[in-house]
Amino acid sequence: MNATIATSIFAVFMVATVGLGLLAVRGRRAGDAESSPKGALAEWSVGGRSLGTVLIWVLMAGEGYTSFSYLGAAGWGYNYGAPVLYVVAYMSCGYAVGYVVGPMLWAYARRHGLVGITDMVAHRYGRPWLGAAVAVMVTVFLLPYIQLQITGMGVVVSTISYGAISLNWAYFIGFAVTTGFVVVSGLRGSAWVSVLKDVLVIGTLAFLVVYVPLHYFDGYGDFLDRVVREKGDWLTLPGSGNSPYGQAWFATTTFLNALTVVIFPTTVAGYLGARSADGLRRNAVLLPAYNILLFVPMLLGMAALFVVPGLTGAGSNLALFKLVVDSLPAWVVGLVGVAAALSSIVPMAVFMLVIGTMWGRSVLSLLPALRAPARQKRASQTVVVVAGALALVMTYAAPNTLVRLSLISYEGMAQLLPMLLLGLVWRRLTLVGAVSGLVVGVAIVCGLVFTERDPVFGVNAGIVALAANLAVALAVSYAGPADRDTRPDGEVLARDPADEDLGDGPDEGVTPAPGGAPAAGRR
Amino acid sequence: MIKRRPHLLWLLVPFVLYVGALPFVNRVRPLVLGLPFLFAWLLAATLVTPVAVWLAYRGDKNTRRRVS
Repeated sequence: MNATIATSIFAVFMVATVGLGLLAVRGRRAGDAESSPKGALAEWSVGGRSLGTVLIWVLMAGEGYTSFSYLGAAGWGYNYGAPVLYVVAYMSCGYAVGYVVGPMLWAYARRHGLVGITDMVAHRYGRPWLGAAVAVMVTVFLLPYIQLQITGMGVVVSTISYGAISLNWAYFIGFAVTTGFVVVSGLRGSAWVSVLKDVLVIGTLAFLVVYVPLHYFDGYGDFLDRVVREKGDWLTLPGSGNSPYGQAWFATTTFLNALTVVIFPTTVAGYLGARSADGLRRNAVLLPAYNILLFVPMLLGMAALFVVPGLTGAGSNLALFKLVVDSLPAWVVGLVGVAAALSSIVPMAVFMLVIGTMWGRSVLSLLPALRAPARQKRASQTVVVVAGALALVMTYAAPNTLVRLSLISYEGMAQLLPMLLLGLVWRRLTLVGAVSGLVVGVAIVCGLVFTERDPVFGVNAGIVALAANLAVALAVSYAGPADRDTRPDGEVLARDPADEDLGDGPDEGVTPAPGGAPAAGRR
Repeated sequence: MIKRRPHLLWLLVPFVLYVGALPFVNRVRPLVLGLPFLFAWLLAATLVTPVAVWLAYRGDKNTRRRVS
């Protein structure tokens, strides 16, 4: 009975999700492929660069609040306690960094008609093969992320269906629903699904944060009292149970991730989808407020310490859902499950979209047969399905616990910082320098993480790698010959459109690709 | 950039609150409304961050008005 109710609610919402995703692009088809084939890929990949503040807010909040927030965050809260707050810390700091970086990348992409970071790298260094190489590397870092979402969705769905839907079927449903809308409707569809997701997430978490302490304890006073009295270890860094995550780790991870999140390909997809630079800045103001929600699963994870003690390993990831299933009627369980499932689906959609875009634009377009813009979109859509299917197969063949994988992805992605961000503001950084730095950085990340030496000396391994990366990039750039690139700085470098506003530049938001006023006289 | 837009320094506020202050706030007591101190601090930081970013935004708005 319970299983039927929860499963039906889940099924209805999954159908609604695909429907909503597909409806999002109705009425926009006429304007794309037929009349301007060139805009087809941009319409799909970055929503035609026309999403307003609200949709961007919802989309970016949706990307930030993944199934990790429900599972991993509650699990970390359960196992270690305070260290999990690094998520809140880096997201908040990241939005502050994004205030500057977001509009800069947005303007750069708009001026040169670019759709992603691999595109930007190829343009900056004038080497299409570099874009392709970076795309391959980024794909390797993103695939575990898709797998993470699939796994997350799987455990949630099988738990909230009271076991009626098996893990393997739940994995497949996650893949099918996501692919079902993202192939057709791209970023715009993902943004609309995010709306549904945010309503459910905010609603269910707001309810749980009130309900759980009242149900299991005598309200908040009693709950907090018991936590402070009995679980003191959990309440400061480094947390409980020989946790290696001390203050130095917390600080370095916050710093590194705050920088990385602004160049994370999915974040950048959100930036590029925006209609105006000012919309992105307004978003940077509004988004940190969403982080308040991240405290909830962590708090509930700690509540689970008292209610369902003794969870270990991957089981601790289910800390929150054990409480939900244990204490609430089936229809509420179903709704919470849908919220968590959508928290997997939205990020998964954007991950797949980004991989598809990178390959269509930067890798496959190197083949003469696929160079035409209209073909690029078709190729991208095919890659979306292939990437999703690959992640699905990996999930069946090589499942793993949640958090470690995502940390590797992040630390690896962080190594693109010098090549991309420094490269976009500093002309002297050479191709050879940037590539050498990247290779060294990624090698160190792999070396440390795969030998279980992360954190290393108490700090995040990625920041050690980034320091080496930067040092090598600078040394090689200074020691080696400068790139022979005759394009003017305004063609190659990015600038914050707000700075342009203050100078004699054209109005921000209306800087078209080829006809942009030359940047001369402002350097 | 900072020279013409000094208000961007507001964006460093979250880094100070979440990272810089860490050695001083990593403690359970005093409790704030029953919350352990570290949690209360980070919660406050999360509420302050949007304000800090907004101050940077307001600075940009004012500068733009002055220029045009």
